[in-house]
Amino acid sequence: MSPLLEISDLHVRYNAVPAVNGVSIVIPAGEIRLILGANGAGKSTIIKAILGLQPAASGSIRFCGEHDLLRLRPHQIHQLGIAWVPEGRQLWGTLTVLENLRMGGFIERDAARLQRRIDELLQRFPRLGERRNQLAGSLSGGEQQMVAIARALVSSPKLLLMDEPSLGLAPFVVRDVFALTREINAMGISVLMVEQNARQALKLAHWAWLLETGRIVVSGPSAEIAATESVQEVFLGGRA
Amino acid sequence: MILFLQQVLNGLIIGSTYAVVAVGFSMVFTVLRVINFAHPDIFMVGMFTGLAAALHVSDNIVVALIGGAIGAGLFGLVLERLVIRPLRGRDVLMTLIATLGVAIMAENGMAVLKGPDPLPFPALIGLTQFHLGGVQIGERQLLNFALSLAVLGFASWYVRSTRFGRATRAIAERPDVAAAFGVNVDVISQITVVLASMMAGVASVSVAVLYGNAWAFAGLLYGLKSFVVMLVAGNRYFEGVMAVALGLGVVEALVTGYLSSSLSDAVAFFLLIAVLFVRPSGLFGSYGS
Repeated sequence: MSPLLEISDLHVRYNAVPAVNGVSIVIPAGEIRLILGANGAGKSTIIKAILGLQPAASGSIRFCGEHDLLRLRPHQIHQLGIAWVPEGRQLWGTLTVLENLRMGGFIERDAARLQRRIDELLQRFPRLGERRNQLAGSLSGGEQQMVAIARALVSSPKLLLMDEPSLGLAPFVVRDVFALTREINAMGISVLMVEQNARQALKLAHWAWLLETGRIVVSGPSAEIAATESVQEVFLGGRA
Repeated sequence: MILFLQQVLNGLIIGSTYAVVAVGFSMVFTVLRVINFAHPDIFMVGMFTGLAAALHVSDNIVVALIGGAIGAGLFGLVLERLVIRPLRGRDVLMTLIATLGVAIMAENGMAVLKGPDPLPFPALIGLTQFHLGGVQIGERQLLNFALSLAVLGFASWYVRSTRFGRATRAIAERPDVAAAFGVNVDVISQITVVLASMMAGVASVSVAVLYGNAWAFAGLLYGLKSFVVMLVAGNRYFEGVMAVALGLGVVEALVTGYLSSSLSDAVAFFLLIAVLFVRPSGLFGSYGS
């Protein structure tokens, strides 16, 4: 069986400056996989290339073994079952919580089915139910992150791309977000996460890569990566 | 007091047409990030296709309105496909200059075809005057006002309550995120331009009926005002654009009534510029670009 997502020898440049330099990664169905890296290592660029928001210079990105995402446009890629929790949430702040969720299910034309799906999610996130008619821009950071995750789940994706979901959140909210990610994975949704918060993300993920200046320098099961000296030094503040 | 009420009413009627043109202009700017200086000439083209429909199809107001809406819509569609879309993603000045070029070509082209002077527009509805207390309103003014309000109501309903309207606002705020959630940005952009054009087409025919003429340079006045109204209101809420456009009409009418009609534009623009000094991103806020 072909993996859910397979990136081969991906190169991305901003003008002439290389951002991603020959990255090859595979995400099998059912796993949480993690890309660790410092600011500017190229993590978000990989996510944007998968989504079709950033053109690649060369390489291929295959979804379910058949679709070459580099030939598709962002809205077509989403229709294959790929959803996004963007860095910094990027909610539509001038839309209400409910409208944000409806936009998350934009591709669902059946209004009744969309409403059922949103109701299910609001049961899982009762706080969002209370605030459904509030503008998304008026919520706290933690609540916004919940909206961003719920918005990505409305379309029942196969693969969830999470770009720095812990960024700017209080530690107890980060714990919630990671627990929720595990729950999402248990529902059968595969996750590709990009993070700087290595300590907690490594506990969650099945597999991790370390990205430095656009190249994968370390790759392996999360437990092994956590023990790697370079990861210890850079992300975990030395040997525990 | 009667003069005041009369001029407020006249101003609201003039302002309602400004509002239709300005809302279309700001919808296009907000969704496509294009300052479409050809928008007023879409209005002008609608005026002439409405005239053609009235002269050659049937001298019926509904036929003229449909003719105006279709003509303006088609002109908008062609403009989007041939001029705006190829230049999207480039500097905002590129589309500004390109649409300005189209505007000049459309105005002068129409002047060559139909003459540089206003053409009489058939009297499709009567001239009855209604009296409310001491205030008067003509049948044509009433039609103009009612049609403008209906068009504004439609625009508001579309962006607030429909699936595509929601996508329109989503693109306005975060185009990349909208695309990543399955919105075909090209399709929504095209629909936005065509809708804004058709709205302008309806307004142009009702203005032509009100003043009894169609003119190749009729768009000029509305173009500059729409642009300034959008800047003053900010483009975050279309309802804000409507409110400022109505306010502009009222200020103009009051200046005309109490001072002089030749001062009305000067005073109105002075007030608008004064607002921009105090609130550079507009009275009701703007989307970051």
